Amino acid sequence: MAEVSIQNVDQKVRIAIIGNPNVGKSTIFNHLTGLRQKIGNYPGVTVDKKIGTMNFKGQTYEIIDLPGTYSLFPNSEDEIIAHRVLNQLSTKVKPDYVLMVIDSTQISRGLFLATQLIDLGVKLTLIMNMADIATKQKISIKTFEIFKELGVPIITTDARGAKGLDPLKEHIYSGNFSSPSEFLRMDEIVPVDLLEKVRTHFGFENNYQAYQMLRFGLVDKAVSAEDKTFIRSLLDEVGFDLERAQIEETRIRYEKIDRLVQKSVKTDIVNRPKSNKWDKVFLHPVFGYLVFAGILLLIFQAIFAWSSVPMDLIDGLFANISGWVAGALPEGPLTSLIAEGLVPGIGGVVIFIPQIALLFAFLAILEDTGYMSRVVFLMDRWMRPFGLHGKSIVPLVSGVACAIPGVMAARNIGNWKEKMITIMVTPLMSCSARLPVYVILIGLTVPDRFVIGFVNLQALALLGLYFLGVIGVLITSFGLKKILKTEEKSFLMVELPSYRTPRWKDVLLTMYNKSKTFVVEAGKVILAISIILWVLASYGPPSRMDAVRSEGELRIAQATEEEIPEIEAEISSQLLENSFIGIMGRTIEPVIKPLGYDWKIGIALITSFAAREVFVSTVATIYSIEGDVEDDLTIREKLEQQTWPDTGEKVYTAATAFSLMVFYAFAMQCMSTLAVVYRETKGWKWPLIQTVYMTALAYISAFAVYQIFS
Amino acid sequence: MPDQIGNMSLSADQLKLAEYGLIIEISDSPLKINLLEMGFLPGKKIMLSHAAPANGPLAFQIDGSTLALRKSEAALIQIESTQS
Repeated sequence: MAEVSIQNVDQKVRIAIIGNPNVGKSTIFNHLTGLRQKIGNYPGVTVDKKIGTMNFKGQTYEIIDLPGTYSLFPNSEDEIIAHRVLNQLSTKVKPDYVLMVIDSTQISRGLFLATQLIDLGVKLTLIMNMADIATKQKISIKTFEIFKELGVPIITTDARGAKGLDPLKEHIYSGNFSSPSEFLRMDEIVPVDLLEKVRTHFGFENNYQAYQMLRFGLVDKAVSAEDKTFIRSLLDEVGFDLERAQIEETRIRYEKIDRLVQKSVKTDIVNRPKSNKWDKVFLHPVFGYLVFAGILLLIFQAIFAWSSVPMDLIDGLFANISGWVAGALPEGPLTSLIAEGLVPGIGGVVIFIPQIALLFAFLAILEDTGYMSRVVFLMDRWMRPFGLHGKSIVPLVSGVACAIPGVMAARNIGNWKEKMITIMVTPLMSCSARLPVYVILIGLTVPDRFVIGFVNLQALALLGLYFLGVIGVLITSFGLKKILKTEEKSFLMVELPSYRTPRWKDVLLTMYNKSKTFVVEAGKVILAISIILWVLASYGPPSRMDAVRSEGELRIAQATEEEIPEIEAEISSQLLENSFIGIMGRTIEPVIKPLGYDWKIGIALITSFAAREVFVSTVATIYSIEGDVEDDLTIREKLEQQTWPDTGEKVYTAATAFSLMVFYAFAMQCMSTLAVVYRETKGWKWPLIQTVYMTALAYISAFAVYQIFS
Repeated sequence: MPDQIGNMSLSADQLKLAEYGLIIEISDSPLKINLLEMGFLPGKKIMLSHAAPANGPLAFQIDGSTLALRKSEAALIQIESTQS
């Protein structure tokens, strides 16, 4: 277990920042590191590892932003990470120094974690942040008293107002971090010989490390099997109740802190807010929900309205690049791979950035103002019957715009089961990519008529599809609640922080970091799949493809000038028919015929796996539609004309269109989402289960719909 | 029920809006430690400031901060009723 310290070979000083949630930790991190941040992964968990660098007076510092936690007890993934890094169980990140951020208005809670750090023996400095608010609330802190008692250097800051941050840099440079003697004597709580044995076995320097290993070593994946056997045999031998000890520790620690706080902190009780006046509205049993609904509406409006402009630009840009590549490079397989596979593949990743960035900007604002935990408070009651948590509301709501940021936002849910259910159901919410498919199919089958005076029938159908998504979410989560097993107890203990104005710089950084994470992590998978799909769509058995090509050339040679575009469209349609994807489409026709689809729809289903909106362009190619494929009308007319070869009946009847809409509502047809689920669950198991489940749900529902309507 | 001194002992979920309570102890439960580390400690005064509808979560004022708990979690907090 004990390992040779090889840090500092590169002369980099590693500093970890830790603190309770909502104490302004990230603001301090952002201030120290600026844009020099990168986001990585800790092995085995989904918590982001945020690392930044700070250069100051020729010295380079690596700064690690640890997730917010109330204690070193590893209750959630976030806390496990803090626990591991600070217990030096994680070999890759081993901080030389620790900066502990404390909310000056919540000193006791901050000192609880701070004194645990002292007992661990880390080299520490305390930052008393939010000094401005403390002053406003007439809280006066005698930092010298605290320093005298704890022996740890203290720096006062107001990170939002950027006050005290330069002295902080100077302080880091001075390296004046201290690891004083223990605050709480563990040998009064845990038998001395027990601590002694653990210390010798693991080579620990102090009792608190030994105690943490005893208490949590058995449940920590980072601890080896042999070490676990050692701990277990030790505990069996002594028969000591560690849970009691932990409660004892908490009680005594808080008692000692209380005495310290009474000596050093003066609070003018009258000036401490009893409860927030805004909460009278935001947490109101009726108005609270109305405000939330209003905010949601505003966000969707903004996302639909604002992101469509950059999305169209990106779409156009990549189409232009494709065209330019095709024209500038010599004709050949490599050029068409780049022009038709690689460039659109990258475009397919980049196109999601506006939505992801915008949604995360809104989420960051809601989080930063303190409103988000109010939403959790309001919604928890309504999510729980379905095995979801109050925090699930954020991913689900995001899912209406795009499942990708939704799935990414699910990581804030601490309970494994609730998080998995949330990730599994979020893609069932009707995202904006389904909209173009819905619009065409509704336009084809639902009359543009008004019922009851003002209700548009087409709008009603669209609303129905969104409801269908919600119903799918509720049924699925209810089922998963019964199936998934966990021993973790679900709980909701959340601080409702005081309201603040958002820090715009931090909001921008969140937008930037989330988009980057998506492009880098999910981009690889998306690119790989789009290239595979391109190969399957462009190549086929050579004999068949060549036959189509040579026949096409012959026809073009004989055709008049006006006939050429039409013939070319027909050729590309025939090429697609004879490509591997075309053959796959024909192969699956028997399977999809009960849903009312012919093999041409089959091809669209397969290509839609890349992304749902591809349906539109594939249909355009299959039915050799010339000119502007964006024009719904031309596509709709073509679809109207399609007939079954054996019976001569129309393919796109109402039954088929309804069945297709239901299929698109439920099917997992978005490799970007799959890639993100893969990233968030650390493996292919869940994305595979999700794909199989959603496809089955889509198939069965579409089958039922077709049989009912036909 | 009344204890020896004659105070009614309650749990925090039984408080009405704007009522105060003094924490006596936290009942044994796997969540006991979580409640303690958040600051629900014996001797602290709490006030129920908000309740979500239909038996939803409860928000308590404690030491100048607002903490929200589910009803079942608040039931672990044994209190005696007290004035502000």
